[in-house]
Amino acid sequence: MTNVKQKRKGMVSQPESPDCPKLTTFEEIKKAERRNLVFVSSIIITLLILGIFLYIFSRTYAKAWRLGVPMRPDAFNSILQRSIPALVAMGGSAFLIAVVSLSFQTIVDSKILTPSMIGFDSIFMGTQTLLVFLFGTTTQFFLNPHVNFIVSAGVMVVVSFFMYSAILRRSKNNMIFLLMFGLVLSGVVSSGTRYLQTIMSFYEFTQVQALINVSLNNVNETLIYMVVPLMLILSFFMLFRHRIYNVLTLGSQQARGLGVDYQKELNFNLILIAIGMSLSTALIGSLTFLGLLAVNFARMVLKTHRHLPLFMISGLVAVITLILGEAIVELIQGAVPVTVVINLVGCSWVFYYIIKDNKI
Amino acid sequence: MIEVRNVNQSYSKRSSKKTLTDVSMVVKENAITALVGANGAGKSTLLSVMTNILPALSGVVLLDGKDVRKMKANDLSKRVAFLRQSQQLNVRITVNDLVEYGRFPHCGGRLKDEDHQKVEEALSYMNLTDLRHRYLEELSGGQCQRAFIAMILAQDTPYIFLDEPLNNLDIKYSVEMMKILTQLVEELNKTIIVVLHDINFAAAYADHIVAMKDGEIYYEGPPQDAITPEVLNPVFDHDFHISNSAGRPVFLYYDEDDPNCEVCVS
Repeated sequence: MTNVKQKRKGMVSQPESPDCPKLTTFEEIKKAERRNLVFVSSIIITLLILGIFLYIFSRTYAKAWRLGVPMRPDAFNSILQRSIPALVAMGGSAFLIAVVSLSFQTIVDSKILTPSMIGFDSIFMGTQTLLVFLFGTTTQFFLNPHVNFIVSAGVMVVVSFFMYSAILRRSKNNMIFLLMFGLVLSGVVSSGTRYLQTIMSFYEFTQVQALINVSLNNVNETLIYMVVPLMLILSFFMLFRHRIYNVLTLGSQQARGLGVDYQKELNFNLILIAIGMSLSTALIGSLTFLGLLAVNFARMVLKTHRHLPLFMISGLVAVITLILGEAIVELIQGAVPVTVVINLVGCSWVFYYIIKDNKI
Repeated sequence: MIEVRNVNQSYSKRSSKKTLTDVSMVVKENAITALVGANGAGKSTLLSVMTNILPALSGVVLLDGKDVRKMKANDLSKRVAFLRQSQQLNVRITVNDLVEYGRFPHCGGRLKDEDHQKVEEALSYMNLTDLRHRYLEELSGGQCQRAFIAMILAQDTPYIFLDEPLNNLDIKYSVEMMKILTQLVEELNKTIIVVLHDINFAAAYADHIVAMKDGEIYYEGPPQDAITPEVLNPVFDHDFHISNSAGRPVFLYYDEDDPNCEVCVS
């Protein structure tokens, strides 16, 4: 009851009214916004450091304690040696997934669609399978993980660019259609992939499995040092373009009125998003709901439409979710992988969103 | 100067139904030009073609002698501002932020002193300085409309296009809106092209009337010549009754059976 009253009061009160604490100047509002950002980011960085320590701890001392053996320094070092690439891969991928998801949401003007929800990562896996199927036995060429990655990423960029630019040009505002399209596309591609895997030779099958069955526990380590720098470049490139994304939040029509060539932005971003999705999917596999979760969480705590803080916070939230989640899973030796937990929470979020607003 | 030359437009390249047929006109500088006509006459389409939102299928629109289709989006947005029929935003944003976005074509989002000054000017011109930190969703329809006009003022373009700006506005705000447009022309030397549905508003505030019918310009001229039954009856496909108020014709388009109205028809 009181809540309703306060809300009403808030709505009708004029800025002049003396009992309404009003932020008078522009600087004060900016300051409040900045204070919020500093507060949020300090919490996040603390959590991040905690997550990293917890991850290393759970892989070393906790494990040793559980096995009842003392932790030897040389064993610790060797585990640390293996943990660092995993951490780097998780961090880079999670940050990129969040950045790409946010930019995708901005260009399609939706708060719940993410690239993986409309099938970007299944296309990547389908492409890899198809490549091995077509060329796997005849040449070793595509079995080199670097070459395979570059070729499949290239094919994916081309395929998804044409497909999504055609789809988005016509039905950008038709969210139901996009969701349906993503669902059907993922279904077609993944069953096609499975079909190819069934009919291909065992040798090819194992090759494909090695390429596409990457997950957090099985990070594609040969790719890390090629992919992570690319990830960072792509993330920062998108971060630097935050002002354009800000204008795009006003909607495609307003953005055009303000001199942003919307069609060009859409095409360009689709290419960036396709590259981003192939980078992260190749490295750590498919994480359907991580981007959604991180971006919406950042929106919730920051309450801003500005993309620079949104990019940074959602990126960091994604990194923390992944690393802290993985650390906890390692610590309690749960049988459930962290991706399942993330997808569970992310799904529930979408569910809540649909129920709450009764719309997509 | 904006010049439209033999513009044709249809819904799709294959479709034979044309929304604009061979339209040519020259926009009158430093004046309010009102586009009037029935639904589907092509007013909004013409506006979209002129602002290159919908590039013309054939014919050209020249802005200061340059084809708008060949202009960069950014250059065009420094010359032409377009306020659409509805400004539904999906984002929670303050008046101040909205007006700052008006400077985007000039500064790419990196506001300098000059840009801040333009924002201040636009806000104070539209009487929004007190409301600048309010979110748009907290404002009334009229205030919201003013905020969008302020954005366009900050955009600082010589040409302003408005597509039915009086939609959803009550009488008070409609009058206020038209007065603002008149002021913009008189004080800031803007050139305004506006789609109006209410011909009485067009008669009272526009300097130039373009009446459209079935994708063509049916009549073009000053209001005293254009706002006449001879022009408007065929354009709207309706027999208007005209009453005189303070020497100005007022069009009545309801109560056709009202006996008092019959008297008014001169």
